[in-house]
Amino acid sequence: MNNKPSLWKQTMNKVRTWARMNSIGAIHFNSGSCNGCDIEILATLTPRYDVERFGIKLHGSPRHADVLLVTGPVTRQARERLIRTYEQMPEPKFVISVGACSISGGVFDGCYNVGGSVDEVIPVDVFVPGCPPRPEAIIDGIIQLLGQLQGGAPRPVAKPKMTGEVSS
Amino acid sequence: MSTEQKLQTAEQLLAPWNKETIRPEENRLDVVIQPEALHEAASALHEAKWGYLSAITGMDMGVEAGQLEALYHFCNGPAITSLRVRLPRAGAVVPTIADIIPPATFFEREIKEMFGIKVDGLAVTDHLFLPEDWLPDVYPQRVDFTIEQAKAMEVSHADQMPEPGRVGENTFVVPIGPQHPALKEPGHFSFTVDGEIVTAAKMRLGYAHRGIEKAAESRSWVENLYLFERVCGICSHTHAMAFSMGVEQLAKVEVPARAQAIRELVAGLERVHSHLLWLGVTAHEAGFDTLFMYSWRDRETVMNLLEQITGNRVNYSANVLGGVKCEIGDEQSKAIKEGLTYLETRIRHYLEVVTTDAMFLNRTRGIGTITAPEAERFGLLGPTARASGVARDVRIEAPYGAYVRYPVSLVTETNGDLEARCVVRLKELLVSCFAMRSILDNMPEGPLTARMPRKIPAGETVARVEAPRGELFYYIKSNGGEIPVRVHVRTPSLCNWVSVLEKAVGRQLADVPMLIAGMDPCFSCNDRVVTVVDSRTSENWSWKRLREYGIEYYSR
Repeated sequence: MNNKPSLWKQTMNKVRTWARMNSIGAIHFNSGSCNGCDIEILATLTPRYDVERFGIKLHGSPRHADVLLVTGPVTRQARERLIRTYEQMPEPKFVISVGACSISGGVFDGCYNVGGSVDEVIPVDVFVPGCPPRPEAIIDGIIQLLGQLQGGAPRPVAKPKMTGEVSS
Repeated sequence: MSTEQKLQTAEQLLAPWNKETIRPEENRLDVVIQPEALHEAASALHEAKWGYLSAITGMDMGVEAGQLEALYHFCNGPAITSLRVRLPRAGAVVPTIADIIPPATFFEREIKEMFGIKVDGLAVTDHLFLPEDWLPDVYPQRVDFTIEQAKAMEVSHADQMPEPGRVGENTFVVPIGPQHPALKEPGHFSFTVDGEIVTAAKMRLGYAHRGIEKAAESRSWVENLYLFERVCGICSHTHAMAFSMGVEQLAKVEVPARAQAIRELVAGLERVHSHLLWLGVTAHEAGFDTLFMYSWRDRETVMNLLEQITGNRVNYSANVLGGVKCEIGDEQSKAIKEGLTYLETRIRHYLEVVTTDAMFLNRTRGIGTITAPEAERFGLLGPTARASGVARDVRIEAPYGAYVRYPVSLVTETNGDLEARCVVRLKELLVSCFAMRSILDNMPEGPLTARMPRKIPAGETVARVEAPRGELFYYIKSNGGEIPVRVHVRTPSLCNWVSVLEKAVGRQLADVPMLIAGMDPCFSCNDRVVTVVDSRTSENWSWKRLREYGIEYYSR
């Protein structure tokens, strides 16, 4: 058996990647952040930085989104909601963890209601550091994700520690 | 009436229940009372219209002392009277005062879950900040609580959300949040609707509760400055300013005049950025995205200025304990003035837009009207209160820092509807711009910082700052060490929630996002999770079922 996909499938994959790269639907989830990252994410959408020129648009529902932008350390109460939001997104889905807190817990590491970083709960594709990261940095994170998509290379994905809880 | 006279009046009012009088600071009066007398004492102050209840601070005096304390802070201009109730550690009970002072509900729920002080007669007993699966009898703010206790707790995956769906003949529950597309703290609301009309409103906070107050008790004074800056990314400067003001009061360090002027300047710029952000979000809720984009474009002018002064766009860390760390040179002064000129023209334009645009007025005029007596009763703060004609602004009532030298004028409106809240905020920006100009023109010379001791002398203090959203209240206690014993933060949003929950009832569901945005927590509640009814069996699906179905559907 030849494992090589048919020409039709190859073409369709190319078309899909092209379409995906030019119309990224993003969704934002605040899992306990201080709003700093959130307002910077919003700033990337507004005229100065205007990520809509790359076809990136913020959606209201996880069902319409390709990319999940998570800000903040994951609080005990937001954890379940984060998993649920992630599960609601259709495949293929990508996660960008925005800000120091979402990467390591940041300044809130060790607080009693903080469960840990985002990559302990859901798989993360791109980390954007900063407190808060500048809009340019967030755009760079998205562009890196696009690069990964285009290259078709296997994505380095952070493995959540609590395996078995996320079904994807 | 001077501060001293006000405190004397309060002392006379409280005389029948007074067990001990303490004067911790010049503007403060502590009256120790028995828990049984609390209700009467609070109503005496309330009926005499002696200020308003600003916060309730809980404190754990330690396992050896076996005592808890609850402090009921009443503020009247710069004068603060605290009713100090001493309670045994086991079986602490206080009567509720929410029947006479409705905003106390939130404060009482807070001390109940954080300290285990039982509040007799409290109508709502749900958790306010802590997760539903938090173990009973574990109180995170008590001194003997450890992180291990929280870690050991099972995080349950039970459905914590109230079941949405049909609750009566014609009524449905519509849950909103905590995930929503735009920004800010996640919060969950459930509105019971009869057709389009909201008949009941409930709220659930705590998705962003991290436990900062507890964390503060294990970090040094300097570390805490940066921790408190991150309570909120939008008004980060006011949080850091309130904390450093409190610590400076404890250490009796005089902050140089130039540093105070720069603090006010940065606070002014922060107000501009916060209110423009708010204007954009409110416009977005009303479906007026053009205004959203324009106001956020102009907000970038302020962000540029903040970056130029402090080096960062958000969380700018302009404060250090004892002063500021950024200098305003001639070049920056010129840039700020140019920026202000541009912003002033734009703000005047927006003022015209929000008062003349017919579509926008349909969403704002006469909606969510709060009268002045109602605003007083709900204990509203900041622009939300000022839009109803309540003159409540810490910068004017109790000027702090540079506001003594560069005062701002009070902006109030009388209508109390959403339009008035837009107008108040925009007019406030013009006042702020004027104050910033006078600071730049009359900048005092001198050093930027005063020397601060590493150990802060024992004592307790209250710092109040007018944040963009209203009065910010900090209570700080030191025992003379390198770390604080207790820092209590009461943010203005907590007091303003009542306005949304009360005013949503009887309105259309479509007005709810506007009402929520009107008090400036800026929730963008476009995301709704509606009830799913299986059309074949007409059976309501539970969250669990819906979730399983979703996973199954997408893995096909």
